Amino acid sequence: MTGLDYLWQALTPLNLLLALAGVVAGTVIGSLPGLTATMAVAVLVPITFSMEPASALILMGAIYTGAIYGGAYSAILLNTPGTPSAIATTFDGYPMAKRGDGDLAITLACISSVVGGLVGAAFLLGLAPPLAEVALAFGPVEYFWLAVFGLTLISALSDGNLLKGLIGACFGLLLACIGVAEISADIRFTFGSQVLLGGIETVSALIGLYCIPVMIDLVATPDRHLKVTTESKGFRLREALAESWKSKFNLVRSSVIGTLVGILPGAGGSIAGLVAYSEARRSSKRSESFGTGEPEGIQATESANNATVGGGFIPTLVLGIPGTPPDAVILGALLIQGVRTGPSLFTENGAIVYTFIYGLILATVLMLPAGLIIGRYAYKSIITIPKALLVPTVAFMTMIGTYAIRNSISDVVIMIVLGVIGWFLNRFGFSPSPIVLGLILGRIAEQGFVQAWTIGAATEDLTGMFFGRPISLVIIAFTLVSLFYPLIRKRWSMTKGAVNAD
Amino acid sequence: MPTEFKRGTGDLAGTVTAVVFILLASLALWDTTSMTDSDSYVFPRAIAAAMIVFCILLIGYNLLRGTADGRDTDAVASSGAVSTPRRVGLVAAMLLSSLVMPWTGFLLSGVLAFGAIMLFAMYDPWTPRRRIVFLLAALAVVLGFYTLFSKVLLVPLPVGFWFR
Repeated sequence: MTGLDYLWQALTPLNLLLALAGVVAGTVIGSLPGLTATMAVAVLVPITFSMEPASALILMGAIYTGAIYGGAYSAILLNTPGTPSAIATTFDGYPMAKRGDGDLAITLACISSVVGGLVGAAFLLGLAPPLAEVALAFGPVEYFWLAVFGLTLISALSDGNLLKGLIGACFGLLLACIGVAEISADIRFTFGSQVLLGGIETVSALIGLYCIPVMIDLVATPDRHLKVTTESKGFRLREALAESWKSKFNLVRSSVIGTLVGILPGAGGSIAGLVAYSEARRSSKRSESFGTGEPEGIQATESANNATVGGGFIPTLVLGIPGTPPDAVILGALLIQGVRTGPSLFTENGAIVYTFIYGLILATVLMLPAGLIIGRYAYKSIITIPKALLVPTVAFMTMIGTYAIRNSISDVVIMIVLGVIGWFLNRFGFSPSPIVLGLILGRIAEQGFVQAWTIGAATEDLTGMFFGRPISLVIIAFTLVSLFYPLIRKRWSMTKGAVNAD
Repeated sequence: MPTEFKRGTGDLAGTVTAVVFILLASLALWDTTSMTDSDSYVFPRAIAAAMIVFCILLIGYNLLRGTADGRDTDAVASSGAVSTPRRVGLVAAMLLSSLVMPWTGFLLSGVLAFGAIMLFAMYDPWTPRRRIVFLLAALAVVLGFYTLFSKVLLVPLPVGFWFR
């Protein structure tokens, strides 16, 4: 069979319907704070058991891609990442919404998600087997350095005060240590409390730190939540397309970053989004405006996190190692269907795999109209709903969403308490973003560090372990560039200015 | 990142917070002494030590720069007065409803929290029409989400000790 035959197989009415339904369902679920892409896929997996494997994969892929995009809505309109992948979307999305450009931000997020999804799927289609080798080349030390690279973003998120950003990140890293230590199983920082044994759940911490402070301030004044413009501007599609064309390199670079990070098992969309945001900020001519409503920030994050969908499927299908948590659920569903993943999957079950990849591309394309319409509806709802209904609705959503993650009331209480702490810290100049960064990257950094240390000590080559591996050196180089690039650029422009003056 | 919060000319609040963080990091360091495996304490110890160093640097920086007034301006750039009781009310309503949930169940505590928060967030006068519309909307939202989570997504929401 040729590629065109697989495309026709993907274009059956049933597959088209499944792709559209999956994207819509995923977008709606992903937009609710607390309901992650993993949960969206897990909840809807039983429906796929009676389907053909290719159709089942198309439905699950569509749900997954829709959920990742859906997380942008609440990030932009409520300053609450609907999914962890959308953390960096809040940095510029919410400021845009506050100044009355929420509709443009949502359309930009939709276009970027489609671009990212298509790039990720293209890599999956053309380069899956060789790229799967990258996943195997990543050891604990590379994960450690990747987390350190992610932590360099603190300088960008520190709101003008690097020391406060660093303190916030340390606070987040310590929060990540609460509970049972992953490697040695020691109990840390619980002080005898059984409630803290399970540790701080990342998504509930995200909801608390980002959403609760917004609500606390919303009830304090009669002012409107977002700036409302008198005339309807529609989707602002032309404006968004022009903006996307201007940032085409940013979109492609972020999508490639998203795909590559997606390939790494366990890294996920949140890290992809943060790394892409960091790179976009570093290379942008408008880097100073990042964090104040810069469209490039949204484009970088949203394209990267949706590219992880295709990227994550690469190790899942080729090696049987799930790239992201939703991939693990999809892998389980595939095994139940009797599909054995592995390098031979592409040759022995080409019909299933290639039909699925074309179906994923189809679902990503369908996300454009579906996402724009749902996004428009979400935006209009948020700006027109009276505050006396908006605040309790969001509060109720945060509570039920947080509870649903681990079926734990304690998580709801921790979420609220963290929200109050976050509100106070924010007032004193400690931005929540470095705390969240520390919380997310802490576990990856610690696990990578301890494992690498153990291996290095056993082989009596600690220096070689941490500084002698090629991929590690590349990541270290990127980290140094990311840290010192602003200084180098400043120095370079000063030198250039002096030369011009002469 | 959201930058709603403008600081005053001094940073007494930042200095005080740094002191609190030093105490917190010291507590973390003390807790690591009970850990038996070096794999468990190396990382948190390093982080807690770094946190103390950063806090001392921040305090030193603030002291050198001077802390003239030290009070932060209020968070919200509002056209009207800022209501602290409403803020406290929101947090209290959420916390209380979560704490009584094992007894009252998710539905009842959710309805009560929704109603209380609606009162705190309301700035317009309560007309008879508004009362009915808002009440119906509140019930629709709570029942809608409750049904979605408990019946469709099969999340085992607590039914409450009183209703068993």
